[in-house]
Amino acid sequence: MRKKNPLENRMNLPQRFVCWLLLGFFFLIMFIPMWNVIVVSTSTILESSASGIKLWWKSFSVEGYEYVFRVTKLARPFLNSLFVSTVATVIQVVLSAFAGYVLIQRELPFKKSITSFIMLTMMIPGDLTLISVYQMNKQLHLLNSYTGLIVNGLISGFSILLMRNYFTSVPYSLAESARLDGASELRIFGQIYLPISKPGLATVFFLEFVGKWNSIMLPATLITDQDKYTMPLMLRAMILNDASQSGAAQTPNNAIMATIVISTVPLLLIYVFAQRFLLSGMTLGASKE
Amino acid sequence: MRKTKAVKPPREPITWKKIKKHRFVYAMLLPIAAYFIVFSYYPLALGLVNSVQDVKMLGGATFCGLNNYISVLSNPLYSQAFINSLIVGVGTFMLQFVWGLAIALLLNEVRSKVLKSVIQSVTYIPYLLSWSVVGGLWMMLFSPSGMVNGFLDMISRGDFQPIVFMSEPQYARVIMIFTGAWKGAGYYAVLFLAAIVGIDPSIYESASIDGASRLRQIFQITIPNIVPTMKVVTVLGAMGVLRNFDQIFIMGTSSILDKVRNLLYLIYTQGITQFKVGPATAGATLVLIGTLIISAVVRKAIRYDDTYED
Repeated sequence: MRKKNPLENRMNLPQRFVCWLLLGFFFLIMFIPMWNVIVVSTSTILESSASGIKLWWKSFSVEGYEYVFRVTKLARPFLNSLFVSTVATVIQVVLSAFAGYVLIQRELPFKKSITSFIMLTMMIPGDLTLISVYQMNKQLHLLNSYTGLIVNGLISGFSILLMRNYFTSVPYSLAESARLDGASELRIFGQIYLPISKPGLATVFFLEFVGKWNSIMLPATLITDQDKYTMPLMLRAMILNDASQSGAAQTPNNAIMATIVISTVPLLLIYVFAQRFLLSGMTLGASKE
Repeated sequence: MRKTKAVKPPREPITWKKIKKHRFVYAMLLPIAAYFIVFSYYPLALGLVNSVQDVKMLGGATFCGLNNYISVLSNPLYSQAFINSLIVGVGTFMLQFVWGLAIALLLNEVRSKVLKSVIQSVTYIPYLLSWSVVGGLWMMLFSPSGMVNGFLDMISRGDFQPIVFMSEPQYARVIMIFTGAWKGAGYYAVLFLAAIVGIDPSIYESASIDGASRLRQIFQITIPNIVPTMKVVTVLGAMGVLRNFDQIFIMGTSSILDKVRNLLYLIYTQGITQFKVGPATAGATLVLIGTLIISAVVRKAIRYDDTYED
């Protein structure tokens, strides 16, 4: 219901015009580069390397996509990324739920020390221990292996905190009375806490999947074998035109853009399905707790 | 707030019985504790040890005191990388802050739900993408045949020489700051918008009845009310200033690297590629200390810890 009220609380017409103008500008500066990628990725090689502003197709073609699968053999890094990110994320969700559950126990002996043991790890950013992480992986023979990609960064204090926050919203008396009825701890965890915290589990899943899919530093440190390349590493090799790595002397523009589109699609799918989880997780991560 | 909390019951002593009762909980903790010891604490300890050692390529290491730290602090490569990190990091943060705030304030004036969510999604999507995607995208746009040159050609109307942006050191930092803010502005907008939505609507109503214009409400109600969120964003941003790696790893072409090579990239090339383990771990430790100092200074400067005390 929109009342015609002289006191209606909004900007006057010229102000609203300026507002829309600015918003339109911000929208276009975000949208045009991404749109350009789509157009170039579906143009012919000739068209994609021509200069000028490309916002619509002069010639539509999927040869860029053919090229990346035939010449660059992109299927391999794509499946590598998909496999590593999915497995790691599933394990991470389970372990974060475990740790979150531990942290909400009220009468747990040594709980304070356990909490600070976990919280302290958040003060040790993985990117600052990079060299030692490399050495440790070398000692454990995890270089150039899927296990290495999965295991490093498998648990983060952040997702543990997130799960703990979800679990605290479950009334503790519920667990207490179940315990009195003789329910095992496993049942309380699996049948009371997990079902109620589905949104929390989903939030951790999506946030961590995005993080692992996009991860550059860790694979760049652990992986030198091109068969184990993940999408970001492959894309970098193509962009920097490193002939020794990408195999071809020069990757055409439309192929690079096709790779960008391909490595973006899983994230966009996730965004469409999990928008509310992602946004709530983001704001939660920046709240002062 | 804190004072109204109920008085805690006196602590019960830790008994063997209680520990036994929680054996399932401890079993759950086991994999997590093992993981953190191996993958968080052990590398940290290893790093500290290596930073005071002279590590040889073929194994073996000798204690060398603070030599690694001294060599890092006296190495012009590191001081240049520190300056680069600071300029690009602070510049990106400031642009991203203003950009995100502007998007949030403007979006708050949009009444159509559909338009609002479309604009929010499109501005947020770059934050979801990896740096290899965002870097590749902008390197194409900045290429001689790219859209930026196409646009400049269009407005110049004369004979136009395309600029090779990605190999011109003079543009390098500006490009890094701009693309960094482009990637993150939508994320900050989401944070600010969440804070704006949380403001009590009755404040606006009474201001409106008192005759305050909408523009004045934005500056005197909206902005002051999201100051706590701004502080959180600033502290988080300060912690990230020295820790940028991905962007330069992707976009740092050899001709502009001197202007943008940052600390983590330098540590990576020294430690992983050139195997100078000692100086690289000493450098990483210094970055950790630097990050702690910067965030402490920023916390103090914006009175972060006072905000929630009352």
